[in-house]
Amino acid sequence: MKIVQKALLLILALAVGLALAAGTPAGTAITNQASASYIDSAGQPRTTQSNLVTTIVQQVYNFTITPDGTESAPGQIRNALPGGQVLFNYVVTNTGNGTDTINLTTVQGTSDNFDLLNPKIYLDANCNGNVDAGEAQVTSVTLAADQSVCVVVAAQIPTTAMNGQYGNLNLVGTSAGNNSVTDNNNWARAVATTAAALTGFKAASPSGTVQPGDTITYTISGSNTGGSPAYGIPVTVDGNPKTGILIEDVIPNGLTVTTMPTGSAGAGTVRFVYHNGSAWQTLTSGMLPITGDGTKKIGMLIEGTGAFFPQGAQYTFSFRAQVPSNASAGDSYANTAVVRFDANGDGDADDPGETVTTNTTTNTVAATYQPVVGYPGTVTLGNETQVVATAYAGQTVSFTNVVRNDGNAPDSFNLSLQNSTFPTGTVCAIYASDGTTPLSGPVGPLAPGATQNVVVKCQLPASYFESPADGNTTTYQVELWATSVNDPSKSDLTTNQVVDILPGYAVDLAARGFAGDNDPNNDNPPMQAANPGQTVYFPLEVYNAGQNPDVYNLTATLPMGWSVVFYPDDDCDGTPDGAPITSTALLNPGQKQCFVAAVSVPAGAAPGANPVSFTATSTTLGSVSDTVSTTVNVNTVAQVLLDPDRFGTVTSPGTITYTHTLINNSNAPAYCDISGSGGAYSWTYQYSTDGTNWYGGLADVYVAPNGGTATIYVRVQVPGGEPVGRTDVNTVTANCVVNGVPATDTATETTTIVGGELRLEKSVDKSTAYPGDTLTYTITAENIGTGDLTKVIVSDPIPAHTTFVSVSATISGFPAGATVLYSTDGTTWSPTAPSSVPTGGVVYVAVDTDGDNTITDADVMPPAAKITITLRVRVQ
Amino acid sequence: MRKTWWVLAFFALALALAQALSLDLRPYLVKAVEGKEVYEENPLAVKPGDVLEWRLAAENRSQGTLRQVALVIPIPKETYYLEGSAKALALNGSTIRPEFSFDGGKTFGFPPLKKRVRVVENGKEVEKEVEVKPEEYTHARWVIPEMAKGARVQVSLRTVVR
Repeated sequence: MKIVQKALLLILALAVGLALAAGTPAGTAITNQASASYIDSAGQPRTTQSNLVTTIVQQVYNFTITPDGTESAPGQIRNALPGGQVLFNYVVTNTGNGTDTINLTTVQGTSDNFDLLNPKIYLDANCNGNVDAGEAQVTSVTLAADQSVCVVVAAQIPTTAMNGQYGNLNLVGTSAGNNSVTDNNNWARAVATTAAALTGFKAASPSGTVQPGDTITYTISGSNTGGSPAYGIPVTVDGNPKTGILIEDVIPNGLTVTTMPTGSAGAGTVRFVYHNGSAWQTLTSGMLPITGDGTKKIGMLIEGTGAFFPQGAQYTFSFRAQVPSNASAGDSYANTAVVRFDANGDGDADDPGETVTTNTTTNTVAATYQPVVGYPGTVTLGNETQVVATAYAGQTVSFTNVVRNDGNAPDSFNLSLQNSTFPTGTVCAIYASDGTTPLSGPVGPLAPGATQNVVVKCQLPASYFESPADGNTTTYQVELWATSVNDPSKSDLTTNQVVDILPGYAVDLAARGFAGDNDPNNDNPPMQAANPGQTVYFPLEVYNAGQNPDVYNLTATLPMGWSVVFYPDDDCDGTPDGAPITSTALLNPGQKQCFVAAVSVPAGAAPGANPVSFTATSTTLGSVSDTVSTTVNVNTVAQVLLDPDRFGTVTSPGTITYTHTLINNSNAPAYCDISGSGGAYSWTYQYSTDGTNWYGGLADVYVAPNGGTATIYVRVQVPGGEPVGRTDVNTVTANCVVNGVPATDTATETTTIVGGELRLEKSVDKSTAYPGDTLTYTITAENIGTGDLTKVIVSDPIPAHTTFVSVSATISGFPAGATVLYSTDGTTWSPTAPSSVPTGGVVYVAVDTDGDNTITDADVMPPAAKITITLRVRVQ
Repeated sequence: MRKTWWVLAFFALALALAQALSLDLRPYLVKAVEGKEVYEENPLAVKPGDVLEWRLAAENRSQGTLRQVALVIPIPKETYYLEGSAKALALNGSTIRPEFSFDGGKTFGFPPLKKRVRVVENGKEVEKEVEVKPEEYTHARWVIPEMAKGARVQVSLRTVVR
């Protein structure tokens, strides 16, 4: 039994409890945080927030019991026979902000004739004013905030009570949460009567909560529980006087009666009547529908004459009224019927107990929740599709959607995006109506019927597009769902669709002035020529031919060993402006940027045509690029050197061999013909590339490019009889062809006839020298005769425009103990080389073989002995 | 490493911002004792019907003048604005009247605020302009044209717990 009671209470809590804001629910945290925006001293807009403060809402205990009444003026009066039962009807409402238990007790009156017997409190679950089977006896009710319940207090009038005597009873409620909160002014009175006493109970089905459009069936019923039959009262219907017991009910404001009532009575004749505010008339179906306005009444007249309604006779009157379909949540329809009869036969219903007011039924319209989403102009419950014909890859496609509250109560809606068929990588998000503020949490609350725009934005990936566009073959869509926060079972969707996704990225690279002109034939820059080691500049232009801003990486394809540097060319004049770049600036669609590709041709590059190409590649989508091709023609650089000039001495007859180095400083192989002038004295000059095979001239000597060398040997054969001191000069010429281009150089051999047998040769390490350079002269003195030479002194002047640096000498072929001696005047000798010699001065070198530390005729130079002197000077 | 740097940068930024304009919000429970108003600072608990006064103190702690300083006190949704309780701010001889928002702080205006609603009249849905009740306000703000270095202001308003 207990379990049943609890279950009933629970159902009630669900059925009757409708929030009508008796206060913020207990336990709610009130949080607050102030904020400020400002512009700082640097001109920057800033925002800041304060500390967060929190306060908790405490429970307030409050409740009401109605109807109110004092002992002298009771809120309800019931008539019954002595020994009969009376029922008092109350409504208990929790007007606090949290769940509370209200303890209920009854208190007997003191200013009355008798105590009521056996008072019991029942929970009137269906609020029909009666104690129905299964309705439990209670001593307390537990109610959520704003919840209310009906209770019935049943008690008996003592059998000893005399007609007209009365007893008073009070229903007292005490809050369990705060027992200082009470309601004790709910007095009711039971009057003992032997006259007729009609009861009146009113039931509403459904009781409690109703939905918009529901039909409520009201049933008023009762019986004669008094000690005598009841009389009717005079009532004018259709202008004619009638007599009967009248049950009348003001149609609740806003409800519509659409069907004829039904009813029956244990005596008399039933007539359904309607009061339009001024007079009663017989109700016919032609008058329907009738909508209550607060004055219109519907009723049942039980016609009869005299004391026609006997003890125990019953009546019932039932009518149906419809709740408007647009009723708002919380709209409340209270209804009370009145039964009028005549107990004492005096022809009116004015005596105590002759007008019986039933209990009040209250129906409250439940909140209904229904989100609807669509797009401007089309907002329907169900799926509608908003179509965007085309969008470009990489772009954000934006859909404006409309959210509307089709429920009857304020509601918030959770929005979500589902079932996307957009390409992988698409990011869709929901924004507020401004299109920029991301939505977090539900939208709303929206009042019933209110709308709010939201924006769904889908950022398309750069890499996906249709090419060509395939129309409706492939489409892309995402569903926007709105789900009621208050009733998650209620939702709606709308579809946002894109038909075609077109390519969003493209680039055109061309020679300066030709990008973006839709003519691919003029894109390649003209070819250019360059020497090895030079840099050539190609003015180029990149054009964003796509639909999205983009940055392009600049690269080049070059022959091995070549390099490229890209420079900006802000003024588009073809010359670099500023520091090197590897990518363009951010270019908007249709925007161009000039730049210059500086291609460095490496030193030594072979002559000929070299293909080069330049590529601009999208940094967003690597598959998007454009390349232009051109050619760099490397010029032929022809230069050969034949060095050094040689000096030597020879006896007559005698032979001397010189070497020259043929250097090819060209960028291509040199093929050289070697010939000599032959000198002035018909000496025999012969040439060789290997020192073994000798020819009168050489043809097609190959010299590798870029510093390759070949050794050219020159042999001089001096016939006998040439005078000592004769000097002959042979000029040898290298006539080279480099890649078809001639190049020439010459060298000389200066040969002097010596009498003795001492050969002197002098060479220098450089053919050309710059100020500061050091020149190294190598002088070789060799006894080429067969007998000893004595007092051999080698002298070498310091050349004009040079400064002495050092001198040293090595010897070979001398007897053991021989020592090199140096002198700067030819007379005083020292084993130490001089540290300075004035320009124009002379360095003397000789070999002391007799150990006297000076040079005399006793100092000998054996055959094949050699003195090699190294003299270093610096060019001034 | 890079992550740490970012976090540090974020804190540095947050600190810098927090220091430029400091905001201190305090609630006071307003009670009437023997005909006088007494205040309970930072009440931990309130009841429906209680009056809360929200005081916001702002101080310019930056080294320069701040301009267009908009101080915003939200009205918690569990409470409603007590009409007339947000006072104008007198500063440097000028009077700054509070503005109010009823759309969650998106737009502000001076009372009376108007809004457009759709209602059914004679069976037809029509749009009407109606006055927004102070109970519907969601935010109040004071826009101070200039706050000198070191300047301090306080604004306040009262709300009633629903």
